Amino acid sequence: MTVKVEASAGKLPHNTLMIYGIIVALVGIYLTYLNVVTGVAVFSFFGGIGAIAALWWGSDTIKHLCSYGLGTGVPSAGMIAFGAGTIAMIAGTKFGIFSPIVTVILAAIIGAVIGYVANNIINMNIPVMVMSLVELSVVGALTMLGFAAMCTGTFMFNGLVIGGMTLSMEPSAAAAGGVQTFMVTVIPEFAGSLIGGAALAVIFFIGAMALQHPFNACLGPNESQDRTLMLAIEVGFLSMLIVAVMSFAFIDMMSAIVGLIVALLGWIYSYKTYIALSKRDAFAWLDSKPIIEVGGNQ
Amino acid sequence: MEEIVLGIGITALAGALATVAGAAEDTESDIGSQGDPNSQVQLAPQMGYIHRIFNKAISGEPPAYGAWCVIGAGVAWALMQINFNPALAIILGSAIAVFVQGIYCTSGYLGRTASLAKFQQPVYIDIIKSLTSVTMAHAFVAIFCTVAMCYLMASALHHPFALPLLGLVWGIALGAAGSATGNPFYGKERQYQNQKFGAGVPISASGNIVRYAEAGQRSSLDNGWFTTKFAGPASGICFGLIVFLELWRTVLFEKLMSGWGAIIMGIVLILIFTFIDRWIEVWGRKTYGPYVTEEASS
Amino acid sequence: MSALGGAAAGGDGINPTGTAVGIVILLVSIAATYALGFSIIPLIGIIVGGALIGFGVHFVPVGGAPAAMGQAPGIATGVAMLAAGAGLAGLFGGAWAYEATGDFAIAVVGGAVGGGLMMAITCLMVNATYVFAMGIPAASGKVDKDPITGDTFPAYKSQGTEGHGLPFISFFGGVVGGFITGLGGTLIYIELLDVYHAALPTIMQADPAAIEPLAVSLAGIFAIGFFLVNAVLAAYNITGTIEGPHDPKFKRVPRAVIGCAVASAFCGFISMLILVNTGM
Repeated sequence: MTVKVEASAGKLPHNTLMIYGIIVALVGIYLTYLNVVTGVAVFSFFGGIGAIAALWWGSDTIKHLCSYGLGTGVPSAGMIAFGAGTIAMIAGTKFGIFSPIVTVILAAIIGAVIGYVANNIINMNIPVMVMSLVELSVVGALTMLGFAAMCTGTFMFNGLVIGGMTLSMEPSAAAAGGVQTFMVTVIPEFAGSLIGGAALAVIFFIGAMALQHPFNACLGPNESQDRTLMLAIEVGFLSMLIVAVMSFAFIDMMSAIVGLIVALLGWIYSYKTYIALSKRDAFAWLDSKPIIEVGGNQ
Repeated sequence: MEEIVLGIGITALAGALATVAGAAEDTESDIGSQGDPNSQVQLAPQMGYIHRIFNKAISGEPPAYGAWCVIGAGVAWALMQINFNPALAIILGSAIAVFVQGIYCTSGYLGRTASLAKFQQPVYIDIIKSLTSVTMAHAFVAIFCTVAMCYLMASALHHPFALPLLGLVWGIALGAAGSATGNPFYGKERQYQNQKFGAGVPISASGNIVRYAEAGQRSSLDNGWFTTKFAGPASGICFGLIVFLELWRTVLFEKLMSGWGAIIMGIVLILIFTFIDRWIEVWGRKTYGPYVTEEASS
Repeated sequence: MSALGGAAAGGDGINPTGTAVGIVILLVSIAATYALGFSIIPLIGIIVGGALIGFGVHFVPVGGAPAAMGQAPGIATGVAMLAAGAGLAGLFGGAWAYEATGDFAIAVVGGAVGGGLMMAITCLMVNATYVFAMGIPAASGKVDKDPITGDTFPAYKSQGTEGHGLPFISFFGGVVGGFITGLGGTLIYIELLDVYHAALPTIMQADPAAIEPLAVSLAGIFAIGFFLVNAVLAAYNITGTIEGPHDPKFKRVPRAVIGCAVASAFCGFISMLILVNTGM
């Protein structure tokens, strides 16, 4: 026996959230392109804001999907979203400036295939399954792309796999893949990059946890949409905090500190608001008081 | 030869770290009441049983510990990229992971309990104030030991995976092992202490968890003491054996029989454990006997 | 859980239209990979690996929340993540064996044995908890006699429950499940690794030895992604709890195998897109 899953009537319709989510996410990720234009990495944190918008939208999608009684619980929806989203995101980064849009398209197609499989081959027959899985895959891919852009300063494949350059004295014929400038060859080094060092796995999993946590944590008869969405934003800023700490390894100190401060301020604000909303919704807010019996077996 | 001796030494150290990690993980998940047994804590108010247990609604233990360990390993890896000392990097990584875990704990409790307002379950702030630091402390031990063990595998045993990927793999395995071994002990023996010993909980008793302790009202804080009586060490042995034997069979036997030595050893180990399990099962049947005599049940 | 107006989920049978469309998607993925100029053998390997993961998850005995109270047999953890834990522990061993020996068969079987070993130890400790710490013998709720050992169960089931612990058939199922999921996961990893090893140096214009960590990490992250997608699809098929291979729910396996194969085929095709030289 588990807690009854009920859907609450939210004040914001789901489609509004989806449109806002996609637009803010794409705009945020594209704003990191200013790094390329201006030559500094200070604009990286916009990627994090874009990722948070995607998570905000995705938590409502999970609420929609899980209200139909999946039988396995909420966390698995987050896992499948990010499993599919990872594949779409890494493949999507190979398309230069069009990467975010291609990522969305690829993720949507993968989500549609997986949703079709779940509904028609595994016979789950849930009305919103295909659309929800399309949305969740897009959310997963955009969140990962946003955080990857925040961490490294770019959303293009080459930036995510090349961690740094080393110098070599060998002539360029022997040292493959380098650019020879005078007597020294500059070779790209892959092990210290976001994908090469598997730091992308961190983004993958904190995103998966962050996506399923808001609805999972606010599950219950008195679930209210604004509280769930505020928790989504809070958990998004918390993930942004981790990504900001990791970004010290990839971008210069100044830009990383900017990202860290934005994440910290955003997290403090959203956490305080979340606690205030919980206080508003709770039956009672007691400190060191005993159990108030209501009489067992209602 | 020296390489094998070093390998065995590292294996033994990794096994010891894994044992400590497993014990701490299970203790933490019982103090915070996470995973499958937590469904009873969530059900209790719906059946009219108000309680003062820390209702930590964060997915299950495998994904949760996968997330904390990947954060710890990822941040440690990033710090090592900017030339931090490995020990300091692992400590800082674990500290940041524990901070995230603490925030998830509080948001999980507040969210679920506020959503149960309909059943008159109050939010007890003193539970958060007193218990969060305790769960964080146990989680720190678990995460630190796991990340340290992964670092040993990556650097001393030369496993091809990068540190964050190892952290993810072993974090999920840690959660799975600890959850499997420790959940029934906590769920039946502690939450349903008032039921008869030596039998499962009948379905009619669902939700009627123990809420009044030996003296005063039950707080999840005491679950730590209880878990260390059996479930904690058992989870530790479980995860420790998994890590130790996985490394041991590879380090010692990989080079034998052109690579098949490790596989043969693995199969031998599986057979040994199957025999032990069968012996335990038969011992239980013979020593405890049936609940009703055989003729009465047929 | 309340279902908000959803149609009744299909029974244990296979949906013919869905399966047909799925097979079309699978063939299109293979054709597209061939059209891009890649060999289709790795993609076949990925499809087989995904199907194996979906198959193996059904063997693992999971009891969910009731098992944590001694009300149902099985392990008290979620299906997808327990199988993922076993499979990833197997992947760890398999990846190591592949790097040490370079032999495909040794690596794949090594990964399988790693997964099986983890499940064997976990199931052993679960039984130790039930028998020694809780005083409860193992009993199944779905069958009266253990198919392997012949133990009778009805008299050993406590009153008001549906069984508890891990009867030997469930233990056996757990080990086999760990074995097969480890096999599938490692197979996917090795196929991806080989493909990246061969093609990445050319498009990144780098030394194969230097590209090694990137190939390993890419293959590893993708393998975990494939793992989660397939394990969750199989978990959807199981709808929460299963006692092992003797459970009637086990008859649903065919549609999970087909579903996971289709999903893995398409995702595998997408993961080959990285190797297309778009000049970026």
